[in-house]
Amino acid sequence: MNSTITNAENPHDAKFHATSYLKFLRLAFRLATEGTWTFYVWMFVLSCVFLVGAHAWATQVAQGMIVTAMTDHVSWGLYIANFTFLVGLAAGGVMMVIPAYIYHDNDMHDTVIIGELLAIASIVMCLMFVVADLGRPDRFWHMMPFIGKFNWPISMLTWDVIVLNGYLLLNLHICGYMLYKRFLGETPDRRWYVPFVFLSIAWAISIHTVTAFLYCGLGGRPFWNTALMAPRFLTSAFVAGPAFIIVVLQLIRRMTQMKVGPGSIQTLVAIMRITILIDLLMLGSEVFTALYTGGAHSTAIRYLFFGHGDLNALVPWTWVSLAFMVTAAVLLMRPKVHEHLKVLDVACVLAFVGIWIEKGMGLIIPGFVPSTLHEWVEYIPSAAEWKIMAGIWAAGLIVYTLLLKVAIPVFTGNVSGRRAK
Amino acid sequence: MENQPTSGGCGSGCGCHSDPGGQADATRRNLLKAAGVTLGAAAFAKAISPIVNWSRENLSVDEFLQQHYRELDKEQLAAVMKRLEQDAKKNYGADVTISDHRPQKGVKFGYALNLSVCIGCRRCAEACHHENNHDRATNNSYIRVLEMQKGSMDIEHGNAHYDHPVPHPDKFYMPVQCQQCDNPPCVDVCPVEATWKEDDGIVVVDYNWCIGCRYCEAACPYHARRFNWTKPVIPKAEINPKQSYLSNRIRPQGVMEKCTFCLHRTREGKMPACLEACPTGARVFGNLLDPDSEIRKVIDNKRVFVLKEELGTRPSFFYFFDE
Amino acid sequence: MFFGVIAVIAVFFMGALAIPWLQRNRDRPGRAFSDKKPGDFTHPVVIRKPGGVALVDTGKKDSHGQAVMVACATCHDTRDPNFNANSGESLKEFHQGLKTQHGGQTCLSCHNHEDYNTLKRADGRPLDFSESMQLCAQCHGPQYRDYQNGSHGGMTGHWDLKQGPRERNHCTDCHDPHHPKYPLVMPVFPPKPVIGEAIPSADGEKSH
Repeated sequence: MNSTITNAENPHDAKFHATSYLKFLRLAFRLATEGTWTFYVWMFVLSCVFLVGAHAWATQVAQGMIVTAMTDHVSWGLYIANFTFLVGLAAGGVMMVIPAYIYHDNDMHDTVIIGELLAIASIVMCLMFVVADLGRPDRFWHMMPFIGKFNWPISMLTWDVIVLNGYLLLNLHICGYMLYKRFLGETPDRRWYVPFVFLSIAWAISIHTVTAFLYCGLGGRPFWNTALMAPRFLTSAFVAGPAFIIVVLQLIRRMTQMKVGPGSIQTLVAIMRITILIDLLMLGSEVFTALYTGGAHSTAIRYLFFGHGDLNALVPWTWVSLAFMVTAAVLLMRPKVHEHLKVLDVACVLAFVGIWIEKGMGLIIPGFVPSTLHEWVEYIPSAAEWKIMAGIWAAGLIVYTLLLKVAIPVFTGNVSGRRAK
Repeated sequence: MENQPTSGGCGSGCGCHSDPGGQADATRRNLLKAAGVTLGAAAFAKAISPIVNWSRENLSVDEFLQQHYRELDKEQLAAVMKRLEQDAKKNYGADVTISDHRPQKGVKFGYALNLSVCIGCRRCAEACHHENNHDRATNNSYIRVLEMQKGSMDIEHGNAHYDHPVPHPDKFYMPVQCQQCDNPPCVDVCPVEATWKEDDGIVVVDYNWCIGCRYCEAACPYHARRFNWTKPVIPKAEINPKQSYLSNRIRPQGVMEKCTFCLHRTREGKMPACLEACPTGARVFGNLLDPDSEIRKVIDNKRVFVLKEELGTRPSFFYFFDE
Repeated sequence: MFFGVIAVIAVFFMGALAIPWLQRNRDRPGRAFSDKKPGDFTHPVVIRKPGGVALVDTGKKDSHGQAVMVACATCHDTRDPNFNANSGESLKEFHQGLKTQHGGQTCLSCHNHEDYNTLKRADGRPLDFSESMQLCAQCHGPQYRDYQNGSHGGMTGHWDLKQGPRERNHCTDCHDPHHPKYPLVMPVFPPKPVIGEAIPSADGEKSH
């Protein structure tokens, strides 16, 4: 029988891995397809939503993007808004890695994988939103280096392609390796994951910085052309990510046998307390700079908060987002809030929704309103766009659910590939 | 996400079925899983069937595999243009000729617009619409004429939808189209190099390479780029049959397009359609490298300015007043 | 094993870099200049000239239904010149419908009382109607200079006269000599508003 601990003197050979990895995959498939009635209903509902979205996307490819509400004035909309938010969520998911590995927080160590799996699901959603936004998805291969034409390093979109796919591969490797090792009942070899974990910390910062650079480098869009864009992206990512994970950790605590210590949640709350305040400070800074100076460059922010004549579709969203964020910040300041989980949950949901609005509608749409020729065209997403958005979120949730469904039992040791002793 | 019934340390590949429920349970479970997967796959196939139909009608293998314009050699380009002519016949019923127009040596185009003389009749926009085979349903044109308030250069107070006799005494008229910048933000941001600046200054788009991400449209400060939100609709009788690969051939759905200074005309020495349509002669076009050209005389003698100069785009489109 | 993987990736990478270099001599028209040589011949610029002798419509029709036109000299040879008339309203016969708005000048500022088939320069020398642009140019020097420099007056044809001719408007194609201010026209081809567009109202206020 195989030993339970690998070491340099007795490594497994390729033949061992060929059979063992297949067993791991078969176990994963079994874990992913069996569960309680709640699980089945959840997956079925998500699948139905996904199919609705897939059909709407197919119609969009066939009839053209005229089925969306985008125009030559507002040429990016719901898809890019969600893409931007989800890049932040992916980056924030790795927020747990810093305390666990840099500060050696042992409580965090076991729950880190939850965040990394969130990063995988978020990046998958990001890539799907990008494909949904392309006018010609059949020409996707044009973007591949060497096969197509890759305008690197000048085009920020090419940087985004590199960092997003790299981040996906990084997290797939880290999570895949850790799970496989747990499956084998062996201690993971530090050389195969610790450097990658540290790389993923830097890489998480880079994915959001690059995405911010997509917008803030455009001189023709003064609303976006601000140096604060990248820092704002980072702080809001580090609010939304932990908020989501706090809620997920509580769900995991309730629905699985994984031990989630209070330390994980405490650390995440500590992070959120700081980042939400910095995020609000930056928002205040942007608003002040625009409104105090006045002039043409403030028209977009004034449109966001006060509307322009009869055009005020975004005004309620903006104020709601601000109210949510401020309320969440106040709730999070409560001493020992991590012991009052209901309050914490409310704060997390409010923060998550507030940032979704702020990063999505509050960032992308005002970049186009008014247009570069100062024309006023409003944008309200069409039914097709909502359907595709719902479908992609459903797909992301499917991916995340399946990843957790496989990872948690393997991680808690309830199933493994250890041969019977 | 409940726990699986543990198999006492056995993995699923063990072979010894020690799990409770027995073999019948496992078989029924597998059968249900297989049925579920099949149903799911069938539903997915049905859901994305519009794409299959669309690609059958609009996408050939040749088109899918076509390389970037700058990588095609002579025979390949000729074959591509022939295929596009056949597509135009199939889709629009029109016999067209698509040629390849290359820049001339020693030519760099410049365009100037006399804001004292322009009366805002918009015949330039209309001529562009007809010359470039634009979608009829949207009245698409590369030129947008703004009615500006005298006393202000702020485009904030510009209006493109005026509909009264022109010229109005309090207003002046400023047509805006692609500025063919010398430092074009649209070229910088394109991830697949589908748009680039040619040697005579014109920024062009390879419509068969563009993936439709619309980053260039976000980057352009002059609202110069247009996207084909759907397949263009043009009656056969109105199609301009003299077309060029990089300019006025009928564009497919889902790609970007823009003003090309009518390169299919100007690279043969002719004037662009907008200039020919202008009744007052407000438009001046020519070769910036020729010291005797009209455009050089304008730049040397009139007070020209460019739009949004502070962005550093260095447009090739100049505006001036006579007085 | 590890180094084997690295080696394979490196081979692919080098191959991808080598292939464009190997194909560097392919004839790719998309990167080339046009091989057209325009030549030395400068094509003519043709200015649309007004017709030779000016004729006036009498308002009567002949037996074929055509308007009866008379030359200026037909009547003016038998009359004394009126140096004060500057519009049709002050006249009793003919030209009453003639609207003038040209700086309040008298008719004979431009028309030659010695030969009504010609025009008159500022120094009194006669000027053929086909050369009438010179008359406009005497006072409207800046516009004439701009016209010569190509920034005034409609034109069609070629920007590059080595490749083809050009046809230009004459002043009188747009400017009626008696009432030269460019007329108001209705604009054509308005842009269609898109979904969600706020159309500014006539006075510039923007509203839905």
